Amino acid sequence: MEKETHQNIESIIEAGKMNELRKLLVGLNHEELERLQKLLNDPHEFSNEISSLLPYAIRKMVERGEISVDSLLPFVEESMHKSIQKNPQKLADILFPVMGPAIRKAVSEDLKRMIASINASLESGFSFRSLKWRLQAFTSRRSYAEIVMANSYLYHISNVFLIHKDSGILLHEASAPESKALEADLIASMLTAIRDFVQDSFSNAEKGTLDEIQFGSLKIQIEQGPYAVLAVVAEGQPPADYRVTLMETIEAIHFNLGLELEKFDGDTEYFKLADKFLQQCLIKQKKEKKQKAPYQLIFLLLLLIAGVGYFVLINYENKANFKRFITELEATPGYHISSSRMSFNKIYLKGLVDPLAEPVEEIMKRFQKIEPGTLQASFEGYLSTEPEILQRRAGLLLSPPEGVEMKIENNRLIISGTAAADWEQNLELKIAAIAGITGFDISGLNKKITDLQWIIPSIERHRFLFDINVVKLDSLQQIQFDSLVKAAVFLDAYNQLYSRNMAIYVRSYTNRNGNVAANERVATARAEGFITLLENAGVKKALLKSQVLFAEDLRETVSLRTVHFSVFDNKPISR
Amino acid sequence: MIKKKIAMLGAFAVGKTSLVQQYVHSIFSDKYQTTIGVKIDQKQITVADQDITLMLWDLYGDDDFMKMKPTYLIGASGYILVADGTRSETIEVAMQLQEMAAATTNNAPFLLIINKSDLSETWEIAPETILRMQQKGWIVLLTSAKKNLMVEEAFQKLASLMLNPY
Repeated sequence: MEKETHQNIESIIEAGKMNELRKLLVGLNHEELERLQKLLNDPHEFSNEISSLLPYAIRKMVERGEISVDSLLPFVEESMHKSIQKNPQKLADILFPVMGPAIRKAVSEDLKRMIASINASLESGFSFRSLKWRLQAFTSRRSYAEIVMANSYLYHISNVFLIHKDSGILLHEASAPESKALEADLIASMLTAIRDFVQDSFSNAEKGTLDEIQFGSLKIQIEQGPYAVLAVVAEGQPPADYRVTLMETIEAIHFNLGLELEKFDGDTEYFKLADKFLQQCLIKQKKEKKQKAPYQLIFLLLLLIAGVGYFVLINYENKANFKRFITELEATPGYHISSSRMSFNKIYLKGLVDPLAEPVEEIMKRFQKIEPGTLQASFEGYLSTEPEILQRRAGLLLSPPEGVEMKIENNRLIISGTAAADWEQNLELKIAAIAGITGFDISGLNKKITDLQWIIPSIERHRFLFDINVVKLDSLQQIQFDSLVKAAVFLDAYNQLYSRNMAIYVRSYTNRNGNVAANERVATARAEGFITLLENAGVKKALLKSQVLFAEDLRETVSLRTVHFSVFDNKPISR
Repeated sequence: MIKKKIAMLGAFAVGKTSLVQQYVHSIFSDKYQTTIGVKIDQKQITVADQDITLMLWDLYGDDDFMKMKPTYLIGASGYILVADGTRSETIEVAMQLQEMAAATTNNAPFLLIINKSDLSETWEIAPETILRMQQKGWIVLLTSAKKNLMVEEAFQKLASLMLNPY
């Protein structure tokens, strides 16, 4: 038992020693070894373990040049291509936050460029400078674009050649869009020949290379690599650090196409890949110009704004003027406007107009901005009942003499003042004939008695015919009788006003057939009878005298049963 | 696009410039040849349905006044040696140039053109000389730039050699 225990203790000590020995030899203890074994046996665990190292390892390989970014590109591109094919939306979602600002930036850059280009075109379009450049182009037999480039840029690189160092064969070239095509193959070879010539001819001098050839404002810069040479054609003076760009470019080309360059056997196809490197050498810088505001553009814009402003103002003024004109027209008595519009400075009107209204041409004259030819009116006639028009119409029909005033109140004609009595004759009938007048008041009208010129005829024009032995008025004769009475009253007023003694003969007629005295008696009775009628109507007796005339004594033929009147002064006048 | 640099080599006045003059696209003046020792032209040809741009480096003829610059040969994919059939010493010059060119171009393909084949009366090159060179593995063509004989074929031949060197 004791022996067994001893053996166990020994084996434990032995195991401990083994462990210690393993640790000394391998540097790992038992647990660590077990973990490594498990790691190797379990692919899941293993892949987990190396996943954290893989990106770091790739970066290191790129840094050491064991793999290039270009060699990884196809995998990345293929993955992206497949991803897009599978689900385009996903990539769109990822790019969404980037694309918005990018698009905005691109648009704003384009806009800036466009403004600059418009301004440049305006600037050099027909300027003295552009003429000078055209002349320069003509005399130097270079294209106008080249001259513009040469004058506009501090420097610009027009061509870049990648040349095989030994053979001088042109591997690839890139040129600026505006530069002219060169015989690149021949130039590349000749450049190599010149380089060889220089190196050969001056072999005693310090070991060096041909870096630059200058010819006028043209400069050829050459950057040598182990297998290839980069030659650039520059106009002007490129910046100092451009040499660094060339170095970096030739290095990048050697880094990426080193094998192809080393084994070059005349096939230039591979070197198309160098294009992106050559393109980045095509740089240019515009001549520093004072930050000049785009005056031409601003001027054009201002001109445009002024033009539009003027048009708007004129249009507004025309419209306002038109409105004022229409308002004025509507307020003018005798007009009724049913529609009005303005189009292209022409005024179109429709409506009604009273013949007595103020002519539309006269109203237009009050608006200087409205030309007479601009009106296209289509009016129809009507009779207005507006007070102003009614008054004008009454005035036209009644022709009131001086001293008579007329006004319209609620369509009634009010006449006042003093007028000759003949004007007043039949005034009521005349007023009733005026359209639109519904009533009248002539109580304020005073009669003016001036002379006998109208009183005598208005008395003498009356004739009354009676039956035999009857002196009685029928209804028709009554109206004439009233008129006669009125005239007789005027005669009395005249006598009093002018202290005269005018009187009226009331004449009755008879003849000398048969009993003359009896005939005369009948005629006298008729005249006396009529005088009685007049006296009864209010005519003073002193104004009236009866007179009997014999038909045989008269030149004219009269009806024997009629009564006539004759006005006389003091004594009766025989006719 | 395949582009190849080829060089034209030979003694002075063997007719290199005449050989290329009517077949190439050129923008540079001949004076470059005498100033910097090379004039570059371009030629477009088609070999076995393949378009090739040949960049022809026409090197100044070797003479006492000016030595050919070997630097211009660097990077050439092939070269044409030109000799004058009426001047046997030009073959010697061509052979010397070939040695130098082979070293500089790392044994690039080449042809030997013996020009002025139209001048039979003053012809100096013996057929044995030509045979000897052919036995060395050289491709020798007789051309006449003046009469336009075998010139186009020479360029075609070199181009196909450059595309399929073996």
